[in-house]
Amino acid sequence: MAEKTVIHVIDDDAAMRDSLAFLLDVNGFQPEVFESSAAFLAKTAGGAPACVVSDIRMPGMNGIELVRKLKSDGIPCPVILITGHGDVALAVEAMKAGAVDFIEKPFDDAILLGSIRSALEAGPSNQGDSAARATAQARLAELSPRERDVLQGLVAGKINKVIAHELNISPRTVEVYRANLMAKTGARSVSELMRVALAAGL
Amino acid sequence: MIRQHQLWLRYGLAALAALVAFGLLSALQNSFEDRTFTMIYVPVIVFAAFEGGAGPALFVTILCIGISTFFLGWDLFAKPANLIDISVFAVLGPVLGYIGNRLFRETEEARYQHAQLQSILDTVPEAMIVIDDHGLMRLFSSAAERLFGWSATEVIGKNVSLLMPSPYRQEHDSYLHRYLGTGERRIIGIGRIVVGERKDGSTFPMELAVGEAQVGSEKFFTGFIRDLTERRSQERRMQELQSELVHVSRLTAMGEMASSLAHELNQPLSAITSYLRGAATLLRSEQVDRKRIGEALDRSSEQALRAGDIIKRLREFVAKGETQHALENPATLLEEAAALALVGAREQGVRVSLRCDRDLPDIIVDKIQIQQVALNLIRNAVEAMETTSRRDLTIDARRDGEFASFSVADTGAGINPEIAQHLFQPFVTSKANGMGVGLSICRTIIEAHGGRITARPNEGGGTVFEFTLPFAEPEVG
Repeated sequence: MAEKTVIHVIDDDAAMRDSLAFLLDVNGFQPEVFESSAAFLAKTAGGAPACVVSDIRMPGMNGIELVRKLKSDGIPCPVILITGHGDVALAVEAMKAGAVDFIEKPFDDAILLGSIRSALEAGPSNQGDSAARATAQARLAELSPRERDVLQGLVAGKINKVIAHELNISPRTVEVYRANLMAKTGARSVSELMRVALAAGL
Repeated sequence: MIRQHQLWLRYGLAALAALVAFGLLSALQNSFEDRTFTMIYVPVIVFAAFEGGAGPALFVTILCIGISTFFLGWDLFAKPANLIDISVFAVLGPVLGYIGNRLFRETEEARYQHAQLQSILDTVPEAMIVIDDHGLMRLFSSAAERLFGWSATEVIGKNVSLLMPSPYRQEHDSYLHRYLGTGERRIIGIGRIVVGERKDGSTFPMELAVGEAQVGSEKFFTGFIRDLTERRSQERRMQELQSELVHVSRLTAMGEMASSLAHELNQPLSAITSYLRGAATLLRSEQVDRKRIGEALDRSSEQALRAGDIIKRLREFVAKGETQHALENPATLLEEAAALALVGAREQGVRVSLRCDRDLPDIIVDKIQIQQVALNLIRNAVEAMETTSRRDLTIDARRDGEFASFSVADTGAGINPEIAQHLFQPFVTSKANGMGVGLSICRTIIEAHGGRITARPNEGGGTVFEFTLPFAEPEVG
């Protein structure tokens, strides 16, 4: 039997840890669970884990801080952040910090598994790869200049009203642009849209 | 200056009186010859003592002895009769002066006290009325004149029930009688909010504080009355705003609560999804691991129950607010609310009958909230009768088993049966400009107090709203 890939799961909620571990296990991964960032960091000191799935809201070091910590320590490990409190600002912050994905609870297993697999395929060295950048840019190719402006506003973490004010359009129009953005890029969630935009270097 | 002036005046007047006596004696000198006539000095001294006090009296006594000496010379002391006469007078003068002085001071004091009392009566901002034990008015302050529209001369000697609307007007004598008979205090020393009636027949809510005094065998009751119309209308507005605020803040808090609970709900929902998806993956594999699938299903149902608990918590929060409960008398509670709610109602031609069983046990409630409910129902009832010719409003509080039952019955147009079914649901209204929140809040309040609120058609047309509240200590059968 081939060696299973170890996936580190960090969540302060026991049921979340257990269910994620179960899901990963039946899908051929070897889950290792931790109830806090600190416990995870203590256990994995030295080696670079293949992939980390972490909750954002946790006591102590939260998920985004963990991503920043790994980055500053030079540990090239893809981190997928999950949250029950999804909003654009948080997604942008997570993606900017360097998380490979941002998934809102409750999620479909296909999304999480897909995200883990693509993170593993890309590998730690491929982050910020020019190929990935080209793919992302291709997805944004069809956007109109106005749609790009709105996307830029979203990436900057601005709310609809602020974007509308700055672009001198109505908030309702911003909503229309946002819908267009999702449709044209094929993004299933705002967080995915953010990931694409950040990957494209917007 | 004034004192100095008065001093001169007092002594001046005394001297003048002595002068008159001197003149009189000069005129009558021939008739008396060598006899003293001290009797003539008595009125002079009495006058001096009453007008000026001890000083002028003594002064006049000396003057009068001088006058006698002037007329009789040495004879005054040589003749024993004259000597006795003048000696008695010399003693009597100061005694009369002393008595006069006392009377003078007491009169001054009484005048001063009277002026003081009058100024208090005139300036005290609250109306003050003194009645005797027959309920007859003895004193009616200026503020009371302004408040009730009656002048003191018009009402003094009349029964105080004149200032009350019915049914109190008819019942006041019996209240007084009951108090005098039983000594049971329902208002004395306690203070209550009641309804007053002005000369023009309009009514207003007022705060009444009553004290009693016993003078000899007579009892007097002093009532202080504060007009609450202005304060109450402000307070009512405040209460309205506050209740809106409470509602809005409750909604806001609910929004926040919902947001954090939604987040919490995501945890079990995510776990359930993961367990079920994992179980589905296991089912698709070649060798079905029934034990693991079973475990995953058990855990996912645990998580579903956890989600249910979270929702239950949200519901509990919605039902219970932070309230201040205290023991309250049902009749007082309702009467006070009615006094507020009925401001202006009689002017609209609404006939009100208030029937409160005063002997009901206490209820444990948040007074403001329950009064808000009563106020809401009464104002609704008055509003409902705006367009009808018969305007009878019946408000009562009575016992219904272990509950205090309050009802507000109007003779308005009644409620459309279609609306009646959903009457207490939010955003249902039959008013042209209603929001449809009042009654739903009423229901929330009453049910949070363990009571029920219902509406039914009134027998002669109109609607009866009724709510119940449990007594503080249910009596054991």
